[in-house]
Amino acid sequence: MIDGLTIGLIAASLLIAVFSVVTAVRNRPMSMVHVGLLALLEIGLLVQAGVGVATVLGGDGPEASATFVGYLIGAAVIPIAAGFWGFVERSRWGPAVIAVACFVVPVLIGRLEQMWTGTA
Amino acid sequence: MDRDRVTVPEGTASGPGRLLVAVYGIFALAASARAGVQIALRFDEAPVAYLLSAFAAAVYILATVALARPGALSRTLAWAACGVELAGVVVVGAVSLALPAAFPEPTVWSAFGQGYGFVPLVLPVLGLLWLRRTAGHAPAVRV
Repeated sequence: MIDGLTIGLIAASLLIAVFSVVTAVRNRPMSMVHVGLLALLEIGLLVQAGVGVATVLGGDGPEASATFVGYLIGAAVIPIAAGFWGFVERSRWGPAVIAVACFVVPVLIGRLEQMWTGTA
Repeated sequence: MDRDRVTVPEGTASGPGRLLVAVYGIFALAASARAGVQIALRFDEAPVAYLLSAFAAAVYILATVALARPGALSRTLAWAACGVELAGVVVVGAVSLALPAAFPEPTVWSAFGQGYGFVPLVLPVLGLLWLRRTAGHAPAVRV
C-alpha cells in the first residue's frame, strides 16, 4: 500500500512481539516500555487505516473494499485491546498477550497487502 | 455471583487464561467480521457455509465472554462453547474434506481450520483443558 509504512509496521510489530516474548520468558509483567511501543505501533496503524479508508472512499481501493476496510480497522483495534487486556494481568501472561497480538498484526497487514496488489 | 467476584480474584481469565481469552477474542473478531462480510455481500452464493461462519462466530464470542467472566454460569457456558466448538471443527473439518461440494466457500472450521493454522482445532482443546485445570479453583471449593 505505502511500501515504507507497510514494511515498517510489520518490522515494528514483530520487534514488539519478540520483546514481549523475552519479557514473558523472563517472567516479568508488562511495563510502560511495552505500552510506549504499542502506542507507536498504533499511530502507524492509524495512519495506515486513514490512508487506506481514504483510498477506498476515493474509488481507488481494492475490489473487496468491505473486507479491506475490515482488516484495516481490525489491525488498528488489536494492539489497543491487547494492551488493555495484557496490562491488567500483572504476570508473564500480560506480555504473552501482547506477543500474540503483535504476531497477528503482521498477518493482517500481509492480507491487506495481498488485497491491495490483487494477488488474493 | 458478586460475592464470588470479590472473594475469588483468579478465575478462568487470569494467568494463562489471560492469553487464552485474548486468542479467543481475536478469533471472535475474525470470525464475526468474515461472517458479516459474507452474509452482507454474497449470502446467495453459499448460504450454508455462510450461516455456519456466523454460527462459529457466535460460539467464539460466547467462549470469549464466558472465559473472561467469573462465576459458575460462565464456567458452564464456557464448557458448552468449547465443546460445541471442538465438535464443530471436527465434524465440519471432516465433511469439508469428504464432501467439498457441501462447503464451496471456506469457513473457519473447513479442513480442521487449516486456513487459520489449525488454531481452531487446538483452541477448544486448550480451552477444555484450562477449564478442567481451573475447576479446583471454582468458587464453591475456594470460598
